[in-house]
Amino acid sequence: MFNQLLLNSLIVASVYTLVAVSFAIIYSTTRFFHFAHAAVLTAGAYFAYLFHILFGLPLVISIGLAVIFSALLGSLMELCIYRPLRKTNASAMVLLLVSLGIYIVLQNMISMIFGDDTKSIRTGDVVEGINILGARITPIQIFIICSGILLVILVTVFLKRTKTGKAMRAVANDPELADISGINSSRVFLRTFALGSALAGVAGILVALDVDMTPTMGMNALLMGVVAVIIGGAGSIPGVALGALLLALAQNFGVWKISSQWQDTIAFVILLIFLLFRPEGFLGRKVKKATI
Amino acid sequence: MEYFLHILILIGIYTILSISLNLLAGYTGILSVAHAAFYGVGAYVAALMALKLHTPFPLNLFLAIGAATLFGAVVGIPSLRIKDDYFVIATFAFQIITFSLLNNLVSFTGGPMGLPGIPQPVIFGFTVSGHIPFLILTFIFCVLTFWIANRIVASPFGRVLKAIREDEVFAQACGKDVSAYKVTIFMIGAGLAAIAGVLYATYISFIDPTSFTVMESIFIISIVIIGGAGNLWGSVVGAAVLVTLPELLRFVGLPNSVAANIRQILYGGLLVAFMLWRPRGFIGEYAFGRGNKAEGSRQKAA
Amino acid sequence: MKTGTLLSIENLNKHFDGIKALDDFSCSVGRGEILGLIGPNGAGKSTLFNVVTGFIPRDSGAVYLKGQNITGKPPYKITQGGIARTFQNLRLLRQMTVLENVLLSYKNQPGERLGNIFLKRKKSDEVEAVNGVLAMLLLSQAGISSKAHDMASDLSYGEQKLLSVVCCLASGAELLLLDEPVSGLNPVMIDTILALIKKLPEESKTVILIEHNMDAVAEVCSRVIAMDAGQKICEGTPAEVRNDPRVIESYLD
Repeated sequence: MFNQLLLNSLIVASVYTLVAVSFAIIYSTTRFFHFAHAAVLTAGAYFAYLFHILFGLPLVISIGLAVIFSALLGSLMELCIYRPLRKTNASAMVLLLVSLGIYIVLQNMISMIFGDDTKSIRTGDVVEGINILGARITPIQIFIICSGILLVILVTVFLKRTKTGKAMRAVANDPELADISGINSSRVFLRTFALGSALAGVAGILVALDVDMTPTMGMNALLMGVVAVIIGGAGSIPGVALGALLLALAQNFGVWKISSQWQDTIAFVILLIFLLFRPEGFLGRKVKKATI
Repeated sequence: MEYFLHILILIGIYTILSISLNLLAGYTGILSVAHAAFYGVGAYVAALMALKLHTPFPLNLFLAIGAATLFGAVVGIPSLRIKDDYFVIATFAFQIITFSLLNNLVSFTGGPMGLPGIPQPVIFGFTVSGHIPFLILTFIFCVLTFWIANRIVASPFGRVLKAIREDEVFAQACGKDVSAYKVTIFMIGAGLAAIAGVLYATYISFIDPTSFTVMESIFIISIVIIGGAGNLWGSVVGAAVLVTLPELLRFVGLPNSVAANIRQILYGGLLVAFMLWRPRGFIGEYAFGRGNKAEGSRQKAA
Repeated sequence: MKTGTLLSIENLNKHFDGIKALDDFSCSVGRGEILGLIGPNGAGKSTLFNVVTGFIPRDSGAVYLKGQNITGKPPYKITQGGIARTFQNLRLLRQMTVLENVLLSYKNQPGERLGNIFLKRKKSDEVEAVNGVLAMLLLSQAGISSKAHDMASDLSYGEQKLLSVVCCLASGAELLLLDEPVSGLNPVMIDTILALIKKLPEESKTVILIEHNMDAVAEVCSRVIAMDAGQKICEGTPAEVRNDPRVIESYLD
């Protein structure tokens, strides 16, 4: 039992980590809570459904296209809505509110177009799963864990080694300094959205491959990602991964003792505790406020 | 005709909700996504009192307002210590936790099945049944809520709220205990929202947790902003517009299955559109969140 | 503690990110004094104001107002206790009228208490009316009463600076901390504000002002303290401090 819980935590943590990293990249650079990210996540899964089930394209191609379209969707939001708003000096609170509006519109459009019932892109038979140390795990779940780890490593390398990645980190760390150093913030923001949204699309597809998709899947996943980011610390990928793992553990072991209906509550109580006592998370830096 | 009266009653209920949130968000600049939670607490307390204890309506109303106000303190006091957009996240968390409580404490709240058969209000021996009496009752509470809110915003207390909205630091430097004001108005907003909850519960005679979700909170925020933040009449206008508009689409022949989706797309879309192009809303005094140069986003200390 | 001492600052230390903003800073201010505080940018002058008025916590040291320890108290309590201040970046409520800005500054307004709005309405209204008269008086003394019902954003920069001083006066505070009250202003406005400041001791007010304009400082201040790198490097009359080699050197660095 313990091993199964541990394994489940690992699977869930992988998804949370991917969602959290995709969100954290955008949050640490643009400094606001882009809740519409949940819609991008959902859209990623539904794009895959569109291409694979409705258009009949091969799965791998469908996934590739879905990820590209997710990146496009996120970029469009930045170009058409967030950028104009930022020009009017809108506060982070306003951007958050608008992102909620965008989410509502998109989620309902997905509901209208595809219906509220559960859709699947899994066309194979239901697999029983392999036995590891007394716990069961399906091939897809192994794939999820591996993809999660791989993608996070790739993103970390990207941020550390590539020019764009370094520019993103510079803007995240010190926007004024980055500006003075000649970094084009607008371009960095756009690329950040593209990258983060692509990752969100992947996360959505991975979830769908494991447990199918519904129009509201994105918000559920994103909220857990947000909790992971806050308790782990936005500026640090290892921190985010740690936050995701801790959250997954707390939820899985928590519902072992208490009923699973309290899963969300556990997550949000943990979130509140961190917001109150350690808003920079485990490994984050304290962000300083404007001068008096 | 009945349908028309029904719409008016709903407009009334949402007017009360948006006035109560306007006090927080429009006048004090506190953006809370937890308002549906207080709406729900009001509804559930009144419903449970009536169903389980068979206590009279005036007492249920009073206790519902009291419970919501207290709950407003429980949510407000810790949350208001948290800054800026993190505060919004905190209210988000409280909202979802409240929903979970309403949904999961089945023996207490009926869980997802809700509470059916809520009795109609009986005031001074007169049973409020039928659309016209209910409309009159709703109207009376609208006027009452408006009057209370107006007294507050037109007073020196209201002036401090507006000062907090624009520049908290300046308000502090003028000797105002900003935290106390914020918590106070948060609690008042919660208590007033409970009135709407009681009206809703006794009007529909059935409530379940799905009426009190985050989406509902965002709907109320939309009304405040689209109608006009910082103007009480804006809340009336906003409620009228956002309640009526989706209903009008019904006449255009939209299938029922997508009616709920269309409604949400409408207010979500309007919210984004207004924030982009007319943050002042229809008749607001305050362009929500715009150009607060004194506040500024997070920067390193000079 | 000497009698007649209004404010006493003892061994204040404050650092940000490893930089010492206040380094064992001590001084005292007597009643009716106009004390000047000068120093190059980054010397710690505004930081001192922020610590004294409770907006920033100190690392160590204490601040006494009228013999009472006010160290670490929240800003609103310190204002209520008798200190009012202006801000370097000229904080004001620009979306409200000039009159409203002043009215906000009055202490002990019954109308600011929730219970009174509903239960003691007459009393609230009366005090509000009285404050309105007092506010117009202050505004006319400052020469901007004609703008009372204009938005604060419609005032010129100089008029806004005047307004911020008027707000301090409305609070009834005995000690005013003015952060660069005449910087960036034309000579006429400078004279107006300096004249206002000069009269304050007659009204039992004490002033500490931060300024870069040495002529202004020399004109109104009876005593000057020079700061650099968080430390007090010189104290004396304006002439003494102005000519002190350490002070001159601090500006050249």
